[in-house]
Amino acid sequence: MARLILMFNKQVVKEYPLMKESVTIGRNEENTIHINNLAVSGYHARIDAAGNDFILTDLQSTNGTFINDKRVVSHKLSHGDNIIVGKHVILFVGTGAEAGEDKPAGPKTDLDRTMMLDTAKQKELLAKQKESTQVTEASGKIGVISFIEGADVGEVELKKKLTKIGKADTSEIRLSGLFMPATAATISRRPSGYVITTMGGKIKVNGEVLKDSVALKDFDTIEVGKVKFQFYQRETSEKQG
Amino acid sequence: MEIKSSGITDVGLKREGNEDSYSIEDSLGLYIVADGMGGHLAGEIASKISVEMINKVFRKWIDKDAGDKEIFGQPDSSLSRKGNFILGGIRLANRVIYELALEKEEYHGMGTTVVVLLVTPSLVIAANVGDSRIYMVRDGEIERLSRDHSIVAEQVEMGMMTKEEAENSPLRHVLTRNLGSSEEVDPEIFEIEPANNDRFILCSDGLTDLVTDTELLNMSENEPDPGALCSNLIDIVLKRGAHDNATIISVDLTDIHKPKNGIFKNLGFFIEDMIISVKRNIKKIIH
Repeated sequence: MARLILMFNKQVVKEYPLMKESVTIGRNEENTIHINNLAVSGYHARIDAAGNDFILTDLQSTNGTFINDKRVVSHKLSHGDNIIVGKHVILFVGTGAEAGEDKPAGPKTDLDRTMMLDTAKQKELLAKQKESTQVTEASGKIGVISFIEGADVGEVELKKKLTKIGKADTSEIRLSGLFMPATAATISRRPSGYVITTMGGKIKVNGEVLKDSVALKDFDTIEVGKVKFQFYQRETSEKQG
Repeated sequence: MEIKSSGITDVGLKREGNEDSYSIEDSLGLYIVADGMGGHLAGEIASKISVEMINKVFRKWIDKDAGDKEIFGQPDSSLSRKGNFILGGIRLANRVIYELALEKEEYHGMGTTVVVLLVTPSLVIAANVGDSRIYMVRDGEIERLSRDHSIVAEQVEMGMMTKEEAENSPLRHVLTRNLGSSEEVDPEIFEIEPANNDRFILCSDGLTDLVTDTELLNMSENEPDPGALCSNLIDIVLKRGAHDNATIISVDLTDIHKPKNGIFKNLGFFIEDMIISVKRNIKKIIH
């Protein structure tokens, strides 16, 4: 079965199966693929099944519909086509068999071969298009530590990939104390989440002495000497790298 | 800190050429694997450029202790200085490949993934673009220090697809980011603290398509020598059909000096604990 994959900012937003009936794309909520962005017209484009093929038609939209790098009025979709509507990209995925039949002259689709989603031309096109004021951007989460006792710091966002906690001037979180090591512990942001590691300080996580390192969960309490704080994650509007 | 490293690349059984490139620089602690894509020789050229360019500029910036203004692109404040050298190197390699692909027709559409590992006694930096990976094996566990930039990986992260569906999806090799396809690139970079007996494995998807994370961990745990591990892994890949080029680097760290807690320090911790509990009790009495 053919599918459409809606993407924004190189991130997948949603996937739609493409059946025999028509699919419409636009800002109005009645559309099958509803894109709430000012660069998209109310009823922007539609896709109709024609035999084994799918035909895309631009519905006289303000900013136009592009296939890969070309502005189109009507276009027969091939496997791998990037349909560009405003700032969004919709990837057309034909079924394996169709992909081969659609392009008899082109190279055979090899599913084992790595290929790149075509976004280079898209960027150039977007630069030419007028800036939309409304951008719904995917937001990420950022770790925060909130001091409970022993230090008058309030809350600190873990903005660094690696946060050092200790007495040294180079620490992101500087703590004083008679037996506080230069670096008592570090908190690193990893693909799986935040991890705290002891670097020679006596650290307790939820009352247990930390032997090496442990993944942090929301509302874990951490003690470093006399200082006690809590870890949690909150939504951030900043784009995560 | 002692480093023992080894690397290997194999064309596999189905491909005519090897589009992977890699480099090992123990003196810098810098390790790179790149998996090129694009017709004719373009993929090979893209991966080679990325490896050479990142090595070259990283060494240059280290040698002159480059400031924020001397590196390529806007520095990222969430990263260390060396992290920014790697970020700048990847961005520069991307720009070079991108310009070359625009300029010459035969290079049109070329691109590459890249994974970069830097190890120093105080910091380990892992960076990636695309679906090549960096694994860390520590205390009997395996952890990815890279994030795949592919449509299926993103769908799995968003909970729209299971890992099993992703492995069988026809889209499993469609990347959302690589070097060469756009003017700017946004690499994934992680910084962590090293520990004794850490092992890092860098690889292209020629390995990870055929060997699971758990298998990788088991094989790593049973083979202390990084060179033997690399060749054992290639043997498995070849046995399972080797439909793609495969490249593997293994980097082992030992003799990292972490401050040890002596008897006086432990006594100090004990006294501190007592003081804290006395203070807390006084507070309770007052309130």
